[in-house]
Amino acid sequence: MKKILLLLGILVATLSAQAQEDATRDVLERLALASSSEQSAITEELSALGDPYIKDFVDAWRTGEVFSYDVSESETIVLRKVSEKFRRLSNDEIFEIADEENDENLSKIRPSRKLRKVLKTITDTIDLSSPDPRARIEAALKLGLSQKTDYLEALQSKIETEENEKVRLKFEEAINISLLANAEDDEALKHSIARLGELASLPARDGIIGIQNEATESGDAEMVAICAEAIKDIDSAQKTIERWGNLVRGMSTGSVLLIVAFGLAITFGLMGIINMAHGEFIAIGGYTCYVVQNLFADAFGTQSAAYQWFYWTAIPISFVVAGVIGYGLEKGMFRFLYKRPLESLLATWGLSMIMQQLFRLNFGAANVQVNTPDVLIGNFEVAGVALSYTRIFVIGFAVFVILMTWLLLSKTNLGLYIRSVMQNRNMASSLGIPVSKVNSLTFAFGCGLAALAGAALSQIGNVGPTMGQTYIVDSFMVVVVGGVGNLLGAGLSAMGIGTVDQFLQPYWGPVMGKIIVYFVIILFLQWKPGGLFPTKSRSMDD
Amino acid sequence: MKNLKKLSLGLASAAALFGSSLTAEETVKVGVLHSLSGTMAISETSLRDILLFTFDEINAAGGVLGKKIEPVVVDGASDWPTFAEKAEQLLAQDKVSATFGCWTSVSRKFVLPVYEKYNGLLFYPVQYEGEELSPNIFYTAEAVGQQAIPAVDYLLEEGYKKFYLIGTDYVYPQTTNLVLFEYLQSKGIKVENIGGGLRKDASGEVISAGKYTPFSHSDYQQIVAEIKAFTASGDACVINTINGDSNVSFFKEIAASGITADDCPIVSFSLSEDEFRSLPTKDLVGHLGCWTYFMSLDTPANKKFVKNFNKWLKTAPAGVQKEGRVTCSPMVLSYNGVYLWKAAVEKAGTFEPEAVIKALESGISFDGPGGTVTSQKNHHLTKNVYIGETLEDGQFEILESYDNVYGEPFLKGTF
Repeated sequence: MKKILLLLGILVATLSAQAQEDATRDVLERLALASSSEQSAITEELSALGDPYIKDFVDAWRTGEVFSYDVSESETIVLRKVSEKFRRLSNDEIFEIADEENDENLSKIRPSRKLRKVLKTITDTIDLSSPDPRARIEAALKLGLSQKTDYLEALQSKIETEENEKVRLKFEEAINISLLANAEDDEALKHSIARLGELASLPARDGIIGIQNEATESGDAEMVAICAEAIKDIDSAQKTIERWGNLVRGMSTGSVLLIVAFGLAITFGLMGIINMAHGEFIAIGGYTCYVVQNLFADAFGTQSAAYQWFYWTAIPISFVVAGVIGYGLEKGMFRFLYKRPLESLLATWGLSMIMQQLFRLNFGAANVQVNTPDVLIGNFEVAGVALSYTRIFVIGFAVFVILMTWLLLSKTNLGLYIRSVMQNRNMASSLGIPVSKVNSLTFAFGCGLAALAGAALSQIGNVGPTMGQTYIVDSFMVVVVGGVGNLLGAGLSAMGIGTVDQFLQPYWGPVMGKIIVYFVIILFLQWKPGGLFPTKSRSMDD
Repeated sequence: MKNLKKLSLGLASAAALFGSSLTAEETVKVGVLHSLSGTMAISETSLRDILLFTFDEINAAGGVLGKKIEPVVVDGASDWPTFAEKAEQLLAQDKVSATFGCWTSVSRKFVLPVYEKYNGLLFYPVQYEGEELSPNIFYTAEAVGQQAIPAVDYLLEEGYKKFYLIGTDYVYPQTTNLVLFEYLQSKGIKVENIGGGLRKDASGEVISAGKYTPFSHSDYQQIVAEIKAFTASGDACVINTINGDSNVSFFKEIAASGITADDCPIVSFSLSEDEFRSLPTKDLVGHLGCWTYFMSLDTPANKKFVKNFNKWLKTAPAGVQKEGRVTCSPMVLSYNGVYLWKAAVEKAGTFEPEAVIKALESGISFDGPGGTVTSQKNHHLTKNVYIGETLEDGQFEILESYDNVYGEPFLKGTF
């Protein structure tokens, strides 16, 4: 008996939820077809409903998956495209649309910017109960910043049931921000301001400054003091965040520098070839990702799960492609240039232009787009410092590349050969090491590393025929400062240059910041011409 | 035998004479001065294409004053002194009646003295910073008052209270942002709510407002972190005058930082439909643009224009890219320029630049794809301005339009 009652209860609950969703769908259908003047009344109905389905639909509406469809001359309905099928919004009935592009009865509809703003506050209210803590935080802050009393009540009732401590604090912050405009009396206002200061609330800063200015005019000294105190707290917290942020961003910039310079540290640093076409090998990496992406899109379609793997497949492929091209070029061109640095400068410069033009002929002069796989979309925030997943990936990737190179050079036979050949070609040759083969393999490896850099850069910058040019100067700079021939030096100099650059930027801006970095490097090289770790040599020439 | 030789010589010279007088009677030379190679080629080649299309369209309809247009296409090669050289060649050697050309402001500054020296006529089609008025140039381009100002008006109407200014470090962004800095203050926006930083000269006068990065800058982490802190209060927007490649890095960083178009819209002045061909459009969805023409304009004139251009592309000469083409504001302003010139020539009854300029100054209207444009005494055009929102397919949805906005080049110090 109890069980039956329970079942009945569940049934009633689901039925009423279903009934509510049906009501919501009706309102949404009317809203989607309404003229802009009728919309405001309908949105009010909608906000009273507060159904999670609203959010679901609004997202679809926004991304162009909602259509109006003329069933007959007098009747128009709303269709929603769900996994390639058109379903009627009110009852999920499937409509067969043969030719989506040219069906005259079908037209894509979008909410206007104004309507979207209104809908956003409705979905934010719904988000206050979202299972995702981050969505709750964002929604709370937005509602708080709107400073409307309706939302204040919603926030105050929600904070009671909130269990996550971090989210509770953000709710408190949002409530107090709202209270800046809605406090009952001066005492409550002062309390809110003081609390916001303790919470170090950056979003509240502008509001508090406004109150401080008013208080200065009306001569309320106590209020001015409380505001000043709160602003001081916020600013000092912000300073700390900035300092940490600079450090993290410096590491990120450094890892980009490192990854683009590392291939050069092999070809120029170890082998002594001034390779001006290094940047174009970086571009090979970027274009390989583009080609692999298109192959995956053709084979699996962009919506499939397999498509998401294109990037991870493209990384090793780009290494191999550039390695093979590098191997061929070493055999056909570079090996004739080992003792002629000036000719090698000119020849590789020419090579760089030829390669750029080949990219243009094949892929067009415009940049091409390499998509970001879903796992790398978004960012990671810790203590107020946000770092995107793509940047974190580049840092990790740089570490991985260094580790692999170090293992190759110090733990394998090939590594031993490479080191011996680079130290003294003639001696190594007379000891029976196949010098020309080692040269080719080392150069190919350096080119492969450059292409890996290109693959990584495709996630944070553009891929185009001249993408390598942006990085060529930086690459040489990193290698020279680190000490030619020293991989550890390259790593340290890249991180150092990146961090100094990020710390200078807030004070002098990106243009002046960069100039100062270059200037400091010139001074440094005057002082230590061999770089951080000069190669010790007994040769008379060095 | 001797006589025969004389006769043939006479015949040949007569034929040459007849021939040359024939061409002089039937065609009129106009110059096309754009970069077809170098960094600017990616944008400027589209303008050459649209100009060739326009000439073909006019020629098919009977030409100008009964003469066919004969284009003389030269390559400025993205190199400013080359622009000046080629301009001189067009005017002194080819004796063109009018020239359509230039994209960057610096290329215009280089050819300006050449056009004044030879008393020629140049039509300039790309949005620019103003503060210039040459008697020999007609600016069909958007002046600051026809792009930046309406965009700011729209954002103010939408309730945004904080403005972050960012651009590439050269004359157009710097001048535009200085004008905007004055304009925003005149609208009651406090200096501390205008982001990006200020630079003052010794006397304390602001000489630069906003944040600037060099061409091809690729590391926007620091700036985006600053924008994120700036937008924490939820009522901020960004005015973007970054040019070229850097936009890719900038918008990727913005998207990765979690700033969305709903929280903080970015309005870009240098990104039109044509630039979207090489941008990550997905990261730009919802952000805004402001131009005097959008390809998505739903008017019969625009539909006809787009259709005819696509039809022409199929039979276009070699070297014109035929796949995935779009139309954009600089292209339409080039198109309008040619038709305004045609109307002015017909009104003046001569191809003489001086008379044509006089006719243009008297006020000539043309119903273009973006609506009616009218030439003004100050060498600019009255035209409609549109605000659009970026969609996933690289087109704009039009949010707002301002009709018949007067083109005023001198705005600095007027607010």
